[in-house]
Amino acid sequence: RYVRQLQRLQLLFSPTAADARGARQFVEEAAQDFARQHPDVVLYVSPHSGPGPAPVLRAEYLNGTVREELIASMTSEEIVQLATKLANQSGLDIIRIRKPFHTDNPSVQGQWHPLTNKPSILTVQGPRLQPQ
Amino acid sequence: VAKTSLTSPPWPEVKLPDPVEEAKYHAEVVRKVNGLISAGEYGRLFAVVHFASKQWKITNEDLIMMDNVLEAECGDRIRMEKVLLVGADDFTLIGRPLLGKDLVRVEATVIEKTESWPKVNVRFWRRHNFQRKKIIANPQTVLRINTIEIYPCLS
Repeated sequence: RYVRQLQRLQLLFSPTAADARGARQFVEEAAQDFARQHPDVVLYVSPHSGPGPAPVLRAEYLNGTVREELIASMTSEEIVQLATKLANQSGLDIIRIRKPFHTDNPSVQGQWHPLTNKPSILTVQGPRLQPQ
Repeated sequence: VAKTSLTSPPWPEVKLPDPVEEAKYHAEVVRKVNGLISAGEYGRLFAVVHFASKQWKITNEDLIMMDNVLEAECGDRIRMEKVLLVGADDFTLIGRPLLGKDLVRVEATVIEKTESWPKVNVRFWRRHNFQRKKIIANPQTVLRINTIEIYPCLS
């Protein structure tokens, strides 16, 4: 059971801007293939006409994080790679993680403490301790 | 001959038991462990697995992160070979160095393929006007161990 963490991808670009050429080519050619390959991701394409803000690919994840990446002056293959990379990610922050592993049950046979594998005090014969 | 400090080695002398008795003891232990496994009386199992040039100690439902790219897509189920050790509450199976594939089965799914946090690689020589800056983001994969199973076919 695997649930993709990407909720939706919003592609905001303007059809007249010069730096959105890759985005337009992506929409014409590769958007349908991408949508078919990732059936559990919703892809919204919203062109806003006129000289608006820079073309942006916005990814929203199931835990609410929104990640925006600029696609200005990128070819359509690069946009496809970016989109697959975002689709494979989860919404956690990309910061330094301290441990590359995480367990809920770290010890199965009981955690080691300095008294494991030592004979008990009752049977040790020291110079003063007599066995009782 | 007189006994000096070097006649006998400094470690205590260990007498090995009889090989026949040892073989009987081994057979009985193997039978007991086999019975336990086939009856299914073990609780959590942990395993030591060699993966991506590192050895991990894993149990059910835990997360592992690699600093590389696997060829499997997100959501693929992966079976891990190269199991060195398997243990439960009462017994452990130690491989020399690997355990057989028909004994243990470790399954994992690829959850995520992201990049690491952007690391800065700066090279600087003083008084030489030499400064190079590079941002590196390694690709990483996150796996979740689904199950560890053992089958009673010891010998």
